[in-house]
Amino acid sequence: MTFRQARWDEPAVWDLTAIPPPEPAPPVSGLPEKMRRKERVRWPELSELQVLRHYTRLSQMNFGIETSPYALGSCTMKYNPRLSEVLARRKGAADLHPNQPESTVQGALEILWRLERLLAKVTGLPEISLQPGAGAHGEYAALLMVRAYFQDRGEIAQRTEVLLPDTAHGTNPASAAMAGFTTREIASKDGCVDLAALKAAVSGKTACFMLTNPNTAGLFESQILEIAETVHSAGGMLYYDGANLNAILGITHPGRMGFDVAHLNLHKTFATPHGGGGPGAGVLAAGDALGPYLPIPRIVKTGRKFRLDYDRPKSIGKIKSSYGNFGLDLRAYAFAISHGEEGLQHVARRAVLNSNYLGARLGKFLPRPFRPLVKHEFLLSGTPLKAHGVRTLDLAKRLLDEGVHAPTIYFPAIVDEALMIELPETESKRDLDEYAAAFERAVSDTPEHLHAAPQHLAVKRVDEVRAAREPTLSWKDLRARTPNHEKAAAVSSPP
Amino acid sequence: MRALVVAPSRKLVARWISHEAGEEAGLLQALGITSTEALFTDVPKKARIGRIGIAAGLEEPEVVAQIDKILDRNRPLGKFSSFLGGRISSRYVPAAVDSILQRSEFYTSYTPYQPEASQGMLRTLFEFQSLWVELTGLDAANASLYDGATAAGEAMLLCRRLHEGRRFLVPASLPWEEKSVLRNYAVGPGLTVEEIPFDPRTGNLDLAFVRSAIASHDVFGLLADVPNGFGHLDEGLWELKSILGDVPYVVSADPLSLTVLDPPGGYGADVVVGEGQGFGIAPSYGGPLLGLFACRKEHLRMMPGRIVGATVDAEGAPAYSLTLQTREQHIRRSRATSNICTNQSLMAVAFVVYASVVGPRGLAELQVSLAEKARTLASALGGIEGIQAPRFEAPYLGEFTIELKHASAETYLERLRRRKILGGIPLADPRPGPAGGPVRLLVAATDSTTDKDIQKYARAARAAAAGGAA
Repeated sequence: MTFRQARWDEPAVWDLTAIPPPEPAPPVSGLPEKMRRKERVRWPELSELQVLRHYTRLSQMNFGIETSPYALGSCTMKYNPRLSEVLARRKGAADLHPNQPESTVQGALEILWRLERLLAKVTGLPEISLQPGAGAHGEYAALLMVRAYFQDRGEIAQRTEVLLPDTAHGTNPASAAMAGFTTREIASKDGCVDLAALKAAVSGKTACFMLTNPNTAGLFESQILEIAETVHSAGGMLYYDGANLNAILGITHPGRMGFDVAHLNLHKTFATPHGGGGPGAGVLAAGDALGPYLPIPRIVKTGRKFRLDYDRPKSIGKIKSSYGNFGLDLRAYAFAISHGEEGLQHVARRAVLNSNYLGARLGKFLPRPFRPLVKHEFLLSGTPLKAHGVRTLDLAKRLLDEGVHAPTIYFPAIVDEALMIELPETESKRDLDEYAAAFERAVSDTPEHLHAAPQHLAVKRVDEVRAAREPTLSWKDLRARTPNHEKAAAVSSPP
Repeated sequence: MRALVVAPSRKLVARWISHEAGEEAGLLQALGITSTEALFTDVPKKARIGRIGIAAGLEEPEVVAQIDKILDRNRPLGKFSSFLGGRISSRYVPAAVDSILQRSEFYTSYTPYQPEASQGMLRTLFEFQSLWVELTGLDAANASLYDGATAAGEAMLLCRRLHEGRRFLVPASLPWEEKSVLRNYAVGPGLTVEEIPFDPRTGNLDLAFVRSAIASHDVFGLLADVPNGFGHLDEGLWELKSILGDVPYVVSADPLSLTVLDPPGGYGADVVVGEGQGFGIAPSYGGPLLGLFACRKEHLRMMPGRIVGATVDAEGAPAYSLTLQTREQHIRRSRATSNICTNQSLMAVAFVVYASVVGPRGLAELQVSLAEKARTLASALGGIEGIQAPRFEAPYLGEFTIELKHASAETYLERLRRRKILGGIPLADPRPGPAGGPVRLLVAATDSTTDKDIQKYARAARAAAAGGAA
């Protein structure tokens, strides 16, 4: 089977029709003249069908989970149940203003409260907030909580350092820096935290150690209990990055492993759609020490009534304008209660089974840098291809020609020419076998073909260097770069 | 030891996870193991949990029944005459918008790291960025942030990268949630968020305060909002640049208002942020929302978030990709301009599709009609004993602030709620603190507000605004 992506010669939305001539915006009574817009917003007047056809055509030039296996490691691209989409659009969910009186949103508060209690079980940490917008936002909030905790203990002047493994997601050091900490990387050994290096690094300066488990090499940090002991004995906090929680549902949880605070990504483990880059939904889970610092409000149940509690004197305050992404929380709740106890355990076991199976199959084509027993994802190294002048990037582009999404590439940085592959529990054995076959065709193709890939998508290899060198970021930029005499005609083409 | 784990018998989960006969056995066999238990030998016994401790799974009809039953305890906006606004809108969304959002190529994909496989999302985000540039009069927009409040937080951090100082000025009238979010974004770098007092008559910024603060040379930026937290328009915004000089100026703007108002890029704003939810996104109890962010070209490389740029492919044909990624956390790690990774791309799609369906004329007419309704509402409430409406003498569009002389906000709103009216948003910080101070509410006209709704509100408000308990 040869894959061919749709390739529409679709103009930009502003080239679908003539832009109306400039005219002042309509007057608003009582509005001083200087506040008035002198020229109406420049945007086309289109029929609904024109708009629908335009964006439908554009969508056909995009991979999604319902078109292709989406092997991005650490992103957990599982099936997003259609059921959740239907439920989130109910009037009783979508048509609620966050400032409605509590008595009129008891159902919304109940969904959020139930999801919180469920996630407390899943994480083994009792205090939950659904406020953060996504994973990195949860990291930032958690680090502010750690900061406030040490402030209260009079230790913040000393505890200035956040430790993290060299395999950490980029958001970890970025969040730590935003929260005013200095960051220090702990070198890995065989893909896991080097306990001796960690022991040497912890000190009275340690505020927190941020860890993903299983980590970004797909390996479970088997020394986790010793790691927790090491961090705690230095007086530091242990932070759980929940990006890879999918692998351990029902097997272990952050609470049992000794973590003090965690963030989860509902858009990964709990199957809310990734939306082409977002929205996500971040969750904060905290133990007794950090629980009082969670953002306000907290949801409280008294008798049969739910209310928002703002009386939390130690709280860091607000981290987002509303409580969280309710529409996504509802989707995650539907996913969780559908699976239930046995189902969530099965999710982890099947995801790990898929990953080990595919790892074993693809390990025949490229070396696997670490031990073969992995959790949700695994790494390959494209180093051997370099002898043929082929890079991991070329392989990724060639995979796209097979109609499957490429893995995460060049991450983590400890592996040369890394490919990070995750196909979660919703991929069938047939899909895994087809992915393996596609991978074999790609990796054994000629260097010429690999360099020329992709050939079967809407565009050929995209020149990303040029995009950065001459930033053209809007229609306004396109107009500025188009000579005057062409301005009357289509102006969608970049220079 | 756990036996071979087969899919739980519940039909729904079996549908979500492939379960062909012999499938799992085949996977296990290929690995030379008989149970998935062999795949967890790396998890120490002491770290294991026996079970999660939640209920058994449900089938699809049961899930629907349970969730519908809970949602029935909500009273959605449609059951009321709603005058709730602020940063969140309940505006009607044409059905065509949601049909695009339900294209699975859009909603199930992720960040377009592989541009060749993601031209659809990249081009749509490029159109979204272009629209925010047109609305604001600035040069470059990013592909979205979480919400308006966090966009303001990121704007503050950008200002600090552009200018020395410790103090960031914001209107005292800014919604309390946004002040709290800003203070949380200020903690790390040790910055101070300072409130600019307002003129008690107009609600406008005290420009003399701003002048003297700037003279201290310790202010690194200022944020002002349009409309402001009172719903009003402050003419001082048009003068601020001359006071600020080279101190960066952030405007937080309601996108719909920009269809009739002079764009902030023209009166000196260096950054324009906003809450984009009102363009095609249901209120959904406050999320997902859409953070809008635009800046001047010269500050582009210090901007937070994903950015889509136009380029060409290997054959010279137009193509799009994420660009200037060396600013971002996955490359720059602790030296990134922001920690943001997942953003609100799908909501950005909603924004640009909504604007394209409604069109520039439709959007401006909508804003004009909301402004007319708000004037009708203000005059209906204005004559009522115990209510000052509008409280401030400044122009406004679709909303304004009222002040209650006798009733508490809780009493007033509860009395109205019993008449199926959602009468406004209390402006006070809900955290425990010193009681007292004026009772102010933000009151909005919405696209569904009719003359009848306004008359109904005015009738009910007469009784609701009286003193005494509810």
